[in-house]
Amino acid sequence: MTQHTAEVGAVASASAPWAIRMRDVSVRYPNGVVALKSISMDIEPGEMVSVVGLSGSGKSSLIRTINGLVPITSGQLTVGGHRLGEAKGRELRRLRGEVGMIFQGFNLAGRTSVLNNVLVGRLAHTPTWRTLLGLHTTADRQIAFDALERVGILAKAWDRASSLSGGQQQRVAIARALSQEPHLVLADEPVASLDPPTAHAVMRDLRRINTELGITVLTNLHLVDLAREYGTRLIGLRAGEVVYDGSVDDASDAVFEEIYGRSIRAEDVLDR
Amino acid sequence: MTAPASVPAPAATAKAAASAAATPPPRPAGRWKPWLAFGVIAVITAVTLSPQLGIAFSLDAIARNWQNGAAKIVQLLQPDWSFFPRTIPPMLETLEMAVIATAVSTLIALPLSLWAARLTNPHWVGRGIVRVILNIVRAVPELLYAAILVAMVGVGALPGILALVLFNVGIIVKLVSEAIESNDAGPLEAARAAGGTQAQINRAVALPDVWPSFVNQVLYVLELNVRSGTVLGLVGAGGIGLLIDAVRTYFRYDQLSVIILEVLVVVILLELVSSAIRKRLV
Repeated sequence: MTQHTAEVGAVASASAPWAIRMRDVSVRYPNGVVALKSISMDIEPGEMVSVVGLSGSGKSSLIRTINGLVPITSGQLTVGGHRLGEAKGRELRRLRGEVGMIFQGFNLAGRTSVLNNVLVGRLAHTPTWRTLLGLHTTADRQIAFDALERVGILAKAWDRASSLSGGQQQRVAIARALSQEPHLVLADEPVASLDPPTAHAVMRDLRRINTELGITVLTNLHLVDLAREYGTRLIGLRAGEVVYDGSVDDASDAVFEEIYGRSIRAEDVLDR
Repeated sequence: MTAPASVPAPAATAKAAASAAATPPPRPAGRWKPWLAFGVIAVITAVTLSPQLGIAFSLDAIARNWQNGAAKIVQLLQPDWSFFPRTIPPMLETLEMAVIATAVSTLIALPLSLWAARLTNPHWVGRGIVRVILNIVRAVPELLYAAILVAMVGVGALPGILALVLFNVGIIVKLVSEAIESNDAGPLEAARAAGGTQAQINRAVALPDVWPSFVNQVLYVLELNVRSGTVLGLVGAGGIGLLIDAVRTYFRYDQLSVIILEVLVVVILLELVSSAIRKRLV
């Protein structure tokens, strides 16, 4: 236990991308549904991974176990030196503070400003009393502005989040994740609610996070062409099991058909 | 209607369906239920009207006392305007009580509302305690609170304010916590994923989204307070109600009508102001 905490401290102090180690990780929901069946994989620091599978394949559960939104039932999961499952309360929040997450539905507080939404990314690094009084430090604001600048919507900082288009809202969500200064970014179907040109723009933003900042990025996708274009590694899930894990370059149509358990259809690609 | 013995070709089925009259699916059962409900209501009404079981009221009293009633109405229709200046200080006191009670209950109700909603308080024990206490608080009418509090702290505006605060907290927490439950859980999940504590999540994400409905309920409660505040004085809890009680005791219906008109004007003005504010809330 002492050795473990020492390790955590060492990893957290270094601003390096994080690795994910999974050993026989299973997730069983209280209603009896088994979402993940004994999954083992290693994701190395700085990788850009696409996780593909049909809806219900467990890819959303997989990504949510990594920041503890979904608790694991059995197995071992280590994220940047933190052991999930053991981490509770303050330690779990500290882990989450280092992991950015992007959602399909953007998940912005619509009635407040873009800036306030981006500042949500600073919660884990802010004392509760400061948040309650709404007193953000100048340093935090600067981090938020820099994050907005990186995704190209700094001009919208004072606008109401709900007044933005879908693509702009997803960029605010990316800025929120970036303001965490994360070691790892998780994206759960980040472009499923966007039109094709916007989807590509958002995927390019995610790729830039990986290439320019060196952050490990894990993206859930169900579209074959996006997974091929923006990932370097592909993990295929079917019914809670890993059915493919390898380079994107080796992932032929046959591989996707194996992952999906059926032939590739028009709805499985973004650009027809 | 029934499955054919042999499965015909699709074209044949379509043709058959087009030529034959369409057979609707069987109607759902339970069409008698509204009639049953109507019958139950009729029986209950009949029972309560019966002299042996019910409250034994009759309309005779109106017929017997109509002259008396008519005289009161004539008096009410002739307001004693000279009485108006004397009504101003107690009316102001009622308004002050309403404003103070609204302000205090707002401060109390905001954290309790977040505490009483599932989205902003995942711990069912704490949530349950808040809900049970507030259900009890809401069950008691504000006039009864006022009567008890007058006995406890003495005649004046203070028991009136306390009674209104109890009444307001019950209403605001119920309506606002329901508004929170109907909000989208996504932004809260995002804040949780970013490592916020529940208090931080509530402040940074839940509060902005529930703010308009919170302000809306506060305005509603302010209106209610002006209305209720006028009668709390009947039990000694301050405001214009004390004056209403006095003029009523001396059968000064000409003065009472001045007060009634004044309350009417104040309530209408307040409604105009609050609906103007509401329109700006989105």
